[in-house]
Parts: sequence; structure tokens; C-alpha cells
Amino acid sequence: MEDGLRLGDRVFRSRLLLGTGKFASVETMLAAIRASGAELVTVALRRFNRERPDDDICGPLAAIEGITLVPNTSGAMNAREAVRAALLGREITGSPFVKLEIHPNPHHLLPDPIETYEAAVSLVKEGFFVLPYISADPVLARRLEDVGCAAVMPLGSAIGSGQGLATLSMLQVIVRDAGVPVIVDAGLRAPSEAAAVMEMGGDAVLVNSAIAAAEDPALMAEAFAAAVKAGRQARMAGLMPRSETAVATSPLTAFLAGEGS
Amino acid sequence: MTPLDLDVFQWLNLARRAGRDMVRQAVAAADPGIREFAILLSPAAGAELEALAARAQALTRRHFGRTIALYAPLYLSNYCPTKCTYCGFASDRRIQRHKLTPAELDSESAALKRLGIEEVLLLTGDRLVSAGYEFVRDGVARAASRFHNVSAEVFAMTAAEYEGLAAAGCTAVTLYQETYDPARYALLHESGPKADYGWRLDAPARALEGGLRSVGLGVLLGLSEPLEDVLRLFRHAAWLRRRFWCGGVAISFPRVRPQSGDYAADFPVSERQLAQIVFAFRIAMPDVTLVLSTRESPRFRDGIAGVGISKMSVASRTTVGGYAESTAPSSPQFEIDDHRTVDEFCAMLRAKGLQPVFKNWDAVYRQPCLTSSASI
Repeated sequence: MEDGLRLGDRVFRSRLLLGTGKFASVETMLAAIRASGAELVTVALRRFNRERPDDDICGPLAAIEGITLVPNTSGAMNAREAVRAALLGREITGSPFVKLEIHPNPHHLLPDPIETYEAAVSLVKEGFFVLPYISADPVLARRLEDVGCAAVMPLGSAIGSGQGLATLSMLQVIVRDAGVPVIVDAGLRAPSEAAAVMEMGGDAVLVNSAIAAAEDPALMAEAFAAAVKAGRQARMAGLMPRSETAVATSPLTAFLAGEGS
Repeated sequence: MTPLDLDVFQWLNLARRAGRDMVRQAVAAADPGIREFAILLSPAAGAELEALAARAQALTRRHFGRTIALYAPLYLSNYCPTKCTYCGFASDRRIQRHKLTPAELDSESAALKRLGIEEVLLLTGDRLVSAGYEFVRDGVARAASRFHNVSAEVFAMTAAEYEGLAAAGCTAVTLYQETYDPARYALLHESGPKADYGWRLDAPARALEGGLRSVGLGVLLGLSEPLEDVLRLFRHAAWLRRRFWCGGVAISFPRVRPQSGDYAADFPVSERQLAQIVFAFRIAMPDVTLVLSTRESPRFRDGIAGVGISKMSVASRTTVGGYAESTAPSSPQFEIDDHRTVDEFCAMLRAKGLQPVFKNWDAVYRQPCLTSSASI
């Protein structure tokens, strides 16, 4: 049976999602997406530019077959704006997915849980497959699942911070309790961190800055893809339990087995 | 904001005396603040400019990617009631004055759109009955019907007026204090509404109260002792960020340029010093937009793009209008130094591995955010 990532009514083979901001050029962005094998690609509505094709982030993506666009609402400060942006994004791209992203503070870009929840309720009613970007809050994750979100996207650390899995212990609780896919988004710096997410049972990761800011984005995208795959395989293979003490391969008490009764 | 908030005495001391070891620690600081900022302004840091630049570039990439956001200024009027010693639009200058008619604003907007511009900064002189709040608000509304991102660099307004600007579609307001030294400020602004230092100082806070998404701050480098001014600028920015948790702050780095009154900078700032100030801001406030205009030379702009600076103006005119041929002629506020076209400038950015970004906002987000911790 194929090990697919189920989001809404779709199943995807790749468990690596890519963001499209911060790239030095359209060409490097496209090369990175191709190298990553990603099937889901997020695009910021505010970077859509239908009037100037060489500034439009959306148009060039049509050159890649087999990808599904996920418009994001980055820039929205509240639920009302996010809902408007999501509706416009769907109108332009036709995608049923929306990455719900509401960060009122333009500096640290951390997500607003209250506005995100409100917007999620509305967007689910509007028929979207809602992928909300949230802090690593297990209660919020469950609440969003309960209102019908197709997945949750808790952050590893702040967007673009490269601080990796600073929220690890909370991510573990989210992954353990979730009934929808958990896509760890934001803050990852190294492929090993993506592998760690998959090993602990995360369903997918979304990477942008770590790839776009690398010296060779396409190569880094490939590295992340390999790490996600390796981490997923390790999870499927079943990691042996961790132990505080050494476990001898030949038990020290084996000699007792021979004692007659 | 109180004068106490702007006290920088201890930091000034540090900025003058920091040693090499302190500089190295400050460059690599995990959680930098004004202490690190002061150290990075020091002569010792000036001797380590390459290390500062490397860190500034890495942080710019991390927060803004390999991109440069582009905008263009559009002067709505150059009538002005204020006598600012350094300004080409000062009331005592004999220059050609003009105020855009609505039709001219439309053709100027169309000309800018043809260049691909999506973010426009509307400017005026100081407040006049004939070029006051309503004039700016109507200009914003008119421009907002064409551009996704409209901001304004105009006279200090009341919070209610800022609310009106936001409702008309204004995203951000830029308002330089020019100098934070009250004595120098009084000397340089002899008369007119702008002579009120405190009213101007509190204007960015009123703008955020009024629902603008972000404010642009700056000092006009050359007017006053630069170390003192930029330390106070840093404190002002930090104070606004603490008070308005959802307000954005951007910093610009204008230097005094040749203008019709021939004012020469009393405190000239060299390119090296300017670069050091930019790097220090980037390292100590990694997530803040840093802006550089066409006041600077192509050589300097090319070098500092992406190395601290994350947003730049392009193809600028400092006359009223100036992009459309049909607009009546007027005198410029100051001479710019980078006359390249949009295409030439973008070609340079691309050659440096930087993607020019024209549209980084969408009109769909146009409405004020009225959240602030007003109790502080």
C-alpha cells in the first residue's frame, strides 16, 4: 500500500512542502521545487502580480507539472482579512487548499491563535481544505481539528529564524494526539531537523527559508527531500526504544536459564 | 514619548569607547539590543566593517531572503509654509511650485504603473490649508485605486487624521524626526508647523494609534551629531515596537543632499559611516525593514543592496510628479544621485543575485488595525 499524505480529499506522495518566498530568482525557485519533488507549494497572495509577469510568483509555477498551489494569507492581521485573502486566492488559483497564516506582528511573524481559529471556522464552512499555521500549541491544534481543518501546521520555531525544533516537546504532544496530519512549518534550518520531525511521527514538513537562503537552493531542496524520506522510512521501520542504560546483546543473566528445577 | 525615553548618555559613552573584543561579541550576539547597537557604532567597530557587513548580509538574507522590495516616491505638492534650513521646498526658497491636480495624479500614477511600480510613497511639504489633510487623504484614495501599496511621507497629523488616511487606503506613514537633538531641531526649523519638536516626535505613535500598519522613521544625517541621533532613533523604534505590538517599523537613512538653498551638512556623514550605521541597525534589529533612497550613488546602492538594506526606491523624481510628461514643471526637493531606470536597476540587482520585488502587498488587506496596548 502506498504511504501517502492525505489532505482533504487528496493524497500526495511527497511529504515535503515548499514555500516560494525569499528566492534570488524565479529560476532558482523553480529549480528548488523540481529538486525537492514537492507536490504542494505555498504562494503568498501578496506576491501575485497579474500586471507584471516578471514580478508574479504564481505564473512561473505553471511550468511545473504535478504541483498543487496552496495560496497563503500572509499579510493578514485578522480573521476578516485572511478570509478575504483566501477567497481571492481560490478565485485566482482554483486551489481548494489555503494555508491560513495570520501574523499581526510584521517583525516576528508569529501566528495569532484567536484570529486563526475564527478564520478557520469560516473557511471550513466556505469549503476550503484549511491548513492553519499555528504556534506549537496542542490545545489549539485539537480545537482546529475539531472545527474541520484538514491538517495543522505548528511551527518548529519562528519563521526564518533557523532555530530548528525549539518547540520539540510540544510538537511531540501535538503529533501524539492529532487525528489530522501534522505538518511542521517554519524555523527549520537543517535537513536533519526535518528527518527528526518525520521520525517522531510528524506527517510532513514545510520548508522555505532554509532552502531559499542556502548557497545552492536546489541542492538543499534535494537534501531536505532525502531527509524527509529517510525520516519517514525510519518511522515506518519502527525505531527501537530509547534506553537510559546499556542493553547487552547477550543478556547478563542468560546463565541462569540453565538451572534445573 | 518622554525625553527620558530618549536618554542615550550611557550608550553614547559606549559608542565612543567600545573595544575590539566588545565589537566581536556584539557582531555575533544572539539577542542584540541597544547595547550591541552602541558598540557597533564605535570607532572600533568601524575598523571591523567587513565583519559587520558579513553579519548584516546573513541576517538580511535570513529575514528578507535574496530579495529587494522596490518603491517609488511621488510628490503631490511642493508648497510649504515651513522654513527648514536644509530643504529645497522651504518657504523662503524661490522655486517653481506646483500641486498635482487629480487628473495629473492619475496620469502620474499611470506612468508609474507602466514602469511596473506597485508601491508608491506620496509626499508633500508641511501642512497648508490648500495642501492639508483632505488633500493628502484624497490623493491616497486616488492612488489606492491603482496601486496595491500606498504610503505617505507628509506632515505630522492627529490620530483621527491618520485614521482617515488608513481608511483611504494608506498602508504606512514615513516621518523623519530629522534630528532628535531639540536644540539643533529648533535651530534648523525656524518657523511653521514643523517647528514643534514634540508634536512631530509623537506623530509615529499617533499614526499607529490611527491604524496605519507601519511607520518609517529616520534622521536626516548631516544635521546633527550622528551617533547621538541614531542612538535616539534606535530607542524611538524600540519604544514604538514595544508599545504597538502589531505595528511595523522601518528605518531609512537619508543624508543631506545638494538642494536649492545650498545648505551644507554641519555634521557630514561619510559613506563608511553611513554603511556602519546601516550594518549596526541590521545586526541589532534584524527583522526591521531598512530603506535606502536614490539620494545615494549607484556605487553605494549597488554595494549595500541586500547587505543590511532590504528596500530601495527606484527611478525617483523629487519634483512634483515628474513621471508623466503632461504634468506642469516644478523644482526638485533635492538632487538625487542614482538616475538609473527601473530596468537598469533591476538588471543590477539580478546580476547580484537579488530578486527585485515590485508587489509584496495586496489591496485585499486594506483596512486599519486598531489594536494597541494603549494603557502603556
